[in-house]
Amino acid sequence: MTGAAADVEPAPGGGRHTLFAALGVAAGVALGAALGLVAFDQTEPPRDRHIVVRARQYAYDPPVIRVNRGDRLFLKLVALDVMHGFFLEGHDLDVEIAPQQSTFKVRHPSRPDDWTEQEEVVVIADTPGKFRFRCSHTCGSLHPFMSGELIVEPNRVLHAGLGACGGLFVGSVAVARRRSRSASR
Amino acid sequence: MQVASTPKRPPAPAPAAARSKHPSDRAGVDLCAAIPGLRAVLKWRPLQFWLMWANLVCFAVFINAGLFGSPVGSHNIMIVFVWILWWFLLIALLVPFLSRFWCTMCPLPAFGEWLQRLRLIGVWPGSGPAKHRTRSLGLSRAWPRALQNIWLQNGGFLGLAVCSALLVTRPIVSTVVLGGMIVLALGLALVYRQRAFCMYLCPVSGFLGLYSMTSTVAVRVKDRALCRGHKEKECLLGCAAGYGCPWFQYVGSMERNNYCGMCFECFKTCPHDNVTLYLRPFCSETGIKGVDEAFKAFIMVALALVYSVTLLGPWGVVKDWANASESGHWGGFALYALAVVGLCLVLFPALHLGAVALGRRLGGGPAVRLKAAFVGFAYTWVPLGLLAWIAFSVPLLMVNGAYILSALSDPMGRGADFFGTATVAWHPILPEWVPLLQAPLLLVGLFYALSKSLQVSRQLFGPPARAVPAVLPVWGLATAVTAVFMFFFAG
Ligand code: SF4
Ligand code: SF4
Ligand code: SF4
Ligand SMILES: [Cu+2]
Repeated sequence: MTGAAADVEPAPGGGRHTLFAALGVAAGVALGAALGLVAFDQTEPPRDRHIVVRARQYAYDPPVIRVNRGDRLFLKLVALDVMHGFFLEGHDLDVEIAPQQSTFKVRHPSRPDDWTEQEEVVVIADTPGKFRFRCSHTCGSLHPFMSGELIVEPNRVLHAGLGACGGLFVGSVAVARRRSRSASR
Repeated sequence: MQVASTPKRPPAPAPAAARSKHPSDRAGVDLCAAIPGLRAVLKWRPLQFWLMWANLVCFAVFINAGLFGSPVGSHNIMIVFVWILWWFLLIALLVPFLSRFWCTMCPLPAFGEWLQRLRLIGVWPGSGPAKHRTRSLGLSRAWPRALQNIWLQNGGFLGLAVCSALLVTRPIVSTVVLGGMIVLALGLALVYRQRAFCMYLCPVSGFLGLYSMTSTVAVRVKDRALCRGHKEKECLLGCAAGYGCPWFQYVGSMERNNYCGMCFECFKTCPHDNVTLYLRPFCSETGIKGVDEAFKAFIMVALALVYSVTLLGPWGVVKDWANASESGHWGGFALYALAVVGLCLVLFPALHLGAVALGRRLGGGPAVRLKAAFVGFAYTWVPLGLLAWIAFSVPLLMVNGAYILSALSDPMGRGADFFGTATVAWHPILPEWVPLLQAPLLLVGLFYALSKSLQVSRQLFGPPARAVPAVLPVWGLATAVTAVFMFFFAG
């Protein structure tokens, strides 16, 4: 792979130039990602949140649950039409929600056959990132696409990813401009 | 059959640098020389038949399940194998690494082609001189000139895309669409020459062609000079060993993968064994030709965005609109369809045009025609779109892969259990890792988008002092679009 600013025809001494370009662009990506990580790493102190999640064909309300690292979430799950599921990625949690019921069946997929009937389920948001919750109980045509999002800030993958995009752009511009100036000399 | 007079796509002027260098002069590693037996396999006449046959058998199972199996998509092999397994293999492996190898084995045109040839494997020899070396059943008409482009494919793909929420979840809809394509391909084969359906109508063909430009393999000739001096041109006209290129390509000067269906007939027909398979770096071809291809590139990126919202996103209203046949929100569906078509055909092309026009001014280039820049820079969206599609498809497999096991044992969703895997419970594989995979894939796409658009800019605008400023607005747009994908996937 050559740098984003690699020329069509290698310039004289092309090997060194290409290496320089690749390093420049890579430095841009790394710096951008680091900047993204550092700039958005602050979150508010942890707190408790009580959230009612309503499941219906084929979405959850609220569609996105945005919390901070360390928050404790007390979830009440309700199904509005038919039987739904609530499989929360990365948290070993799966729920079966029957319609018009105040309790629901909870299990941990690591112990698949251990169902308990609960009125509320507690999730500790100790890992930052994006976790989707998906319907795990076939509920109709768009069932495979029924999902919602739990965003635990700081969402580092997003911050680093956006930073890296910007860094790739800036790094490429810097390398390309330098190259074009040295070529015109 | 008059293969020789088959009109090809009107050749658009290639960018200067592309013309001055034949890609085949720096084509990469000759795989037929490197891998013993590969040439023999590719020259083996029954190869394509058996590949198509195997896929046709699978297809018959899918169609059967679509007609008589469970209407629940995730329990029906038609949905699970086509829209999870096939789609993933196609976009993530076949296209980037093996070009249009899918078209080698695709069952859709099988009946039409076999009927045209009145043979499953062999060659139907002609009696006459040069232009009649092989024969063909049917009217063998030439495809209308006005339609010798991929606009019909663009339209068909967009039409299917608007209905995708139905297509990828209802076995019967998939069955009707795919079965309809077989019938259409058969009908067209009897009226028009060779692979007219594949070249001009197949909705899959458009993006296969576009994205195969990135592919790490390519069918090319080893020595162009040999072709120039070779009057018989069996690769074009056919001979006792095989048919003239069914895709209307002349391999002797072919520079792009777009319309080579990898049927390997030219390996069989060329008496000099001049055709071979090259291994080359990712994104080796950058020359987009024609506004139709440029729009294909826009449509694909825009649709990756659309699906990230409708299918992967958490918003119920959008799903209701896209899924109108069940939800009854037909007004919403109309709005949704309008938004999708508007994004693909108006908004995205307009943003691209704006960036290109600005770049043309920065590059000081009234010498470069706006249309040439518009079409040329559209390549930016090829690697970016492909990688965005791969990133989009990763969770399909990781999240719904378990359905593959259960559908294998119970293809109809009717309670069978052939391999004891029918009751494997749905369980996603490391789903929390999905954004961590998607983000680097997007960055790879952006990297190639920036790198290759600069290469295009050098070909259009010449020296770096002009080419670099000219590409900057396109770079900015590509970076912004990548950031939007990043938001959808990771945020
Ligand atoms: S162009 Fe379409 S129908 Fe033809 S072989 Fe390829 S995928 Fe199949
Ligand atoms: S038959 Fe072979 S040598 Fe002759 S033009 Fe075709 S590819 Fe070239
Ligand atoms: S005959 Fe045509 S379509 Fe087939 S491999 Fe050769 S160039 Fe490609
Ligand atoms: Cu559901």
